[in-house]
Amino acid sequence: MDQFIQLTVDGLTLGSVYALIALGYTLVYGVLKLLNFAHGDVFMVGTFVGFGVLQALGGPASPNVPIWLVITLVTLSAMAVCAALGVAIERFAYRPLRDAPRIAPLISALGVSFFLANSMQLLFGATPRNYDLFEYHTGTLYLRGLHIGGVTVPLLRIITIVAAFVLMVILWFLVNKTRTGKAMRATSFDREAAAMMGIDIDRVIVFTFILGSALAGAAGVMFSLRVPTNVSIGFIAGLKGFIAAVIGGIGSIPGAMAGGLILGFLESYIQGYVHGAHIPDGTQWSDLYVFSVLIALMLFRHQGLFGRPDIRKV
Amino acid sequence: MKKAFVFALAVLATSVVAASAQGSQTAAARSLASFNCSKTITLPFVTPLTGGAGFLGTEQMSWAKYAVKTLAPQLGLKVKLVGGDTPVEQGPAPAQTLAQKYIGTPSVLALLGPSTSGAVAASTKAYYAAKLAHISPSATRTDLTKTVGGTYEGTPAFFRDVPGDYIQGPSDANFMINSLHVKKVVIMDFQEPYSLGLAGAVESTLKAKGVTTIRLSAPNTTTDYSAYVTKVPGDADIVFFPTQKPGDAQTFAQQLIEQGKKAKVFGGDGSNDSSQFKQPGSYVSNFAPDITGIAADAKLIAGWKKDNPGKAVGSFGPPSYGAVQIALTAISKACKAGGGSTTRAAVFHTFKKVSIKNWILGGSFKWSTKSNDPLNAKFYIFQIQSNGSYKLVG
Repeated sequence: MDQFIQLTVDGLTLGSVYALIALGYTLVYGVLKLLNFAHGDVFMVGTFVGFGVLQALGGPASPNVPIWLVITLVTLSAMAVCAALGVAIERFAYRPLRDAPRIAPLISALGVSFFLANSMQLLFGATPRNYDLFEYHTGTLYLRGLHIGGVTVPLLRIITIVAAFVLMVILWFLVNKTRTGKAMRATSFDREAAAMMGIDIDRVIVFTFILGSALAGAAGVMFSLRVPTNVSIGFIAGLKGFIAAVIGGIGSIPGAMAGGLILGFLESYIQGYVHGAHIPDGTQWSDLYVFSVLIALMLFRHQGLFGRPDIRKV
Repeated sequence: MKKAFVFALAVLATSVVAASAQGSQTAAARSLASFNCSKTITLPFVTPLTGGAGFLGTEQMSWAKYAVKTLAPQLGLKVKLVGGDTPVEQGPAPAQTLAQKYIGTPSVLALLGPSTSGAVAASTKAYYAAKLAHISPSATRTDLTKTVGGTYEGTPAFFRDVPGDYIQGPSDANFMINSLHVKKVVIMDFQEPYSLGLAGAVESTLKAKGVTTIRLSAPNTTTDYSAYVTKVPGDADIVFFPTQKPGDAQTFAQQLIEQGKKAKVFGGDGSNDSSQFKQPGSYVSNFAPDITGIAADAKLIAGWKKDNPGKAVGSFGPPSYGAVQIALTAISKACKAGGGSTTRAAVFHTFKKVSIKNWILGGSFKWSTKSNDPLNAKFYIFQIQSNGSYKLVG
């Protein structure tokens, strides 16, 4: 039972981060029908921004302000910088290609991804950065927490999960209960019709990138609170976020949230439970199982769990 | 139509065979092509400069640069050091591409690296065909210089100035048995040649001495080890963690504590970085001692620090200095023997004749007569202290 609780907590922590990344993919795809392959590297930039702000606030061992404020400021800074980065990427790499064939912005996205990774490498070098929050009060964020059965859910994981869910709720509110959110949904449904209705499409798209990139920045910080970061981490994180978005249904916001959590749980339970004499071990082959599930899902429900099937006019 | 198709296939097949023959002729011809030693020699260093192990390559390059700067003038050579990046996440492919590039560069007489065992295994045959000697300061897999279970992945062109895992594995295992008195050890690998070799060496020694071992395997791209930690038994003494990313060793050690496991992490030489892996109580083995404790190296260290302000002396850098010293000494000897010109083949044959009196890692350097490994090399075991420093314990 303890192992199940531990794996569930692991899955929830991982899934929360995947969900935040997936939301960025799905928001942009929903509005622009563009797969923003630079999204993973925006996430990576967020991890570095968070590291820099953490150091500026005195470092993990003896911060200048209370730790809750440190984590809040680190997260908000990463979100702000990544949001600005997202706006810049949209303005210079995607907007000029809005009317070009679909392959053009896709290639541009790949180019931006490599540009970001290499630029960060040039600026900050190859050495990984570790937030080292274990140094805060000799590991209190790791050792204190909620007790469930024989398992302690550490404070750091609780912070990650709660923060991710708060952000998802805020996003849901923005998209469903505000005028700008309504404009986003209209643009996602039919861009031309939305423009004809007087919606400023450029503003909507910029706002979408702000939202998506800010979430990537937040995901970066949530991720790096517990594991080190380096300039090449964006590719894998972006891939996992993309898979989560596809599982949930690319373009669907609830789908991205669900997809992220499902992916997190899948990975965790496969690694924890799948083992036997005649089957590939889950710890060693978790990616094999996850991609097999993805392929099966695509075969039987290609639009994802919450996606809408394509409707074609005849 | 059918005849035309068959004819086209025959022409294509003939072209491929001719091109292959031409290629091997070219490599063989280049190995004997004369090089004027008064010209600038290109010394490539194939090492991970980016990615999770980029810290290793960056450190090694800094020492190699310093070695070229100080030793080349002393040996009467003009040398240009160039870096060839082999990120560990990309597997062996970059090493193979770089091998072709450097084999095709006439001013390359010898080569440093590759730094990782997988990259060596992928490229050494090409270097041997071109009679291009290459020396690694960190590739420790046993079967690169010795036959293991019928497998030999090296060639006579591969040299290393650090001991292999056939020393590291048993050293680490025997330390665990004799000094730590372990009963149960979890052994991880990361599905790549370095960790597989070292994990296997440790596992076989532990099993032979009656220690219970549990084997886990994680993809090389893993960053969060929480699920793996759940599989570590509560009564395990040690988790042997032969990663090439020290930050991952730190993460694993912290996640063990997070889940209330008593096992300590024991890293191999790939996790040797006190700025990243600093969990008190953990262990690290490495092929080099801390050279800041060697009096004869004081001037050398001061010079390196002047060129690298703010950087600390690690364990991967000094063997790189040594590798440059061996390579340039071999080139210099071959040039003198050739009256001012030499060939790759001559440099290759001179490599094994090199010995260094005042070796940067202490004592002197000589080659083993049985392999292209250093004679009487050993591994050192460190325990991480409460202040994050590494204390020699074995």
